[in-house]
Amino acid sequence: MPSANTTYLLLATLVMFAVTYALRGTVFAVFGGSRTPPRLILYIGRVIGPAVIASLVIYCFRNTTPLVWPYGLPETAAALVCILLHIWKRNPLLSIILSTILYMVLVQHFSS
Amino acid sequence: MLRFTKKVALASFKASIPVLLGYLTMGAAAGILLTSQTGLGAFWAFLTSATSVSGALQFMAVDMFANHTPLLTVALVTLSINIRYALYGLPLIERWKGIPILLKLYLILSLTDETFALETENKYPPGEDSLTYCFLISLFDHIYWVTGVVAGSLAGGLLNFNTKGIDFAMTALFIVILMDQLQEKQTRIPAGIGGICAVIGLLIYPANMLVPSLLLILAAILLFRRRLEVANA
Repeated sequence: MPSANTTYLLLATLVMFAVTYALRGTVFAVFGGSRTPPRLILYIGRVIGPAVIASLVIYCFRNTTPLVWPYGLPETAAALVCILLHIWKRNPLLSIILSTILYMVLVQHFSS
Repeated sequence: MLRFTKKVALASFKASIPVLLGYLTMGAAAGILLTSQTGLGAFWAFLTSATSVSGALQFMAVDMFANHTPLLTVALVTLSINIRYALYGLPLIERWKGIPILLKLYLILSLTDETFALETENKYPPGEDSLTYCFLISLFDHIYWVTGVVAGSLAGGLLNFNTKGIDFAMTALFIVILMDQLQEKQTRIPAGIGGICAVIGLLIYPANMLVPSLLLILAAILLFRRRLEVANA
């Protein structure tokens, strides 16, 4: 008998797979003929990417507490390092790894 | 039909080397995160990465698994992160017409950003078969991604240090993706809309901010369509 958690994880994995696969395949199923997609669909596809990523950045900071110690200082410092490094080097892995290490050091040693 | 030769195998492998480096490291980061944050091991790393084959989603999956995010929200998040895939097929429809159905289903399953880029570039060696070249690139990239995530998960289980704060890797990933997108001017207004909608979503429904945020985004880009299309033209 799978536990409730295993059932949830299997279903969540299935949902992610099904939605992603449907997205990848829809265009072949619907527009496999000569029909071109409606302009509205093309428009949404063009502009929704940056909007979603920006909202996910905000989502990642949802548990930050700007009014209570440590006042969001570890998050701010790590995000700034990430941004500056990325402006300077444009190397995604470098920006991600160094800012994450900085954040880990800050929350483990200074904010508890 | 597929025609495997040494030449086409070598050419597709060579083309995929940059993806190899990127997927192994990003996959490993996602795998370490999965195991250190949720305690889930290599089985789940394999299952999620082999089926969804999607970078940003793999990171969000850690967050959603840890929080037991409701399945409907999981569907909505997946839809929003991956909606761009709905357009990737467009330049490939004609080329993939009439190929064996199983092959087509696999090529669709493994169509990531990077694989799409290499397949539309389609630099197969002269005299070789373009479809075989594309299939091998898909297969190689898929293997790199799954290997990276599973290896990261195994390493995450062995790591014996304090991993508190390692989830910032996801924050940093999204910051980096956003900064790369912002280099193109026409992404700036949509990104601004996304940020504002997310803040409103967080204020009105902090328990599950993603649902109101994403619905607001959709409403806003439909509402401002005329202005955004003018700005893009």
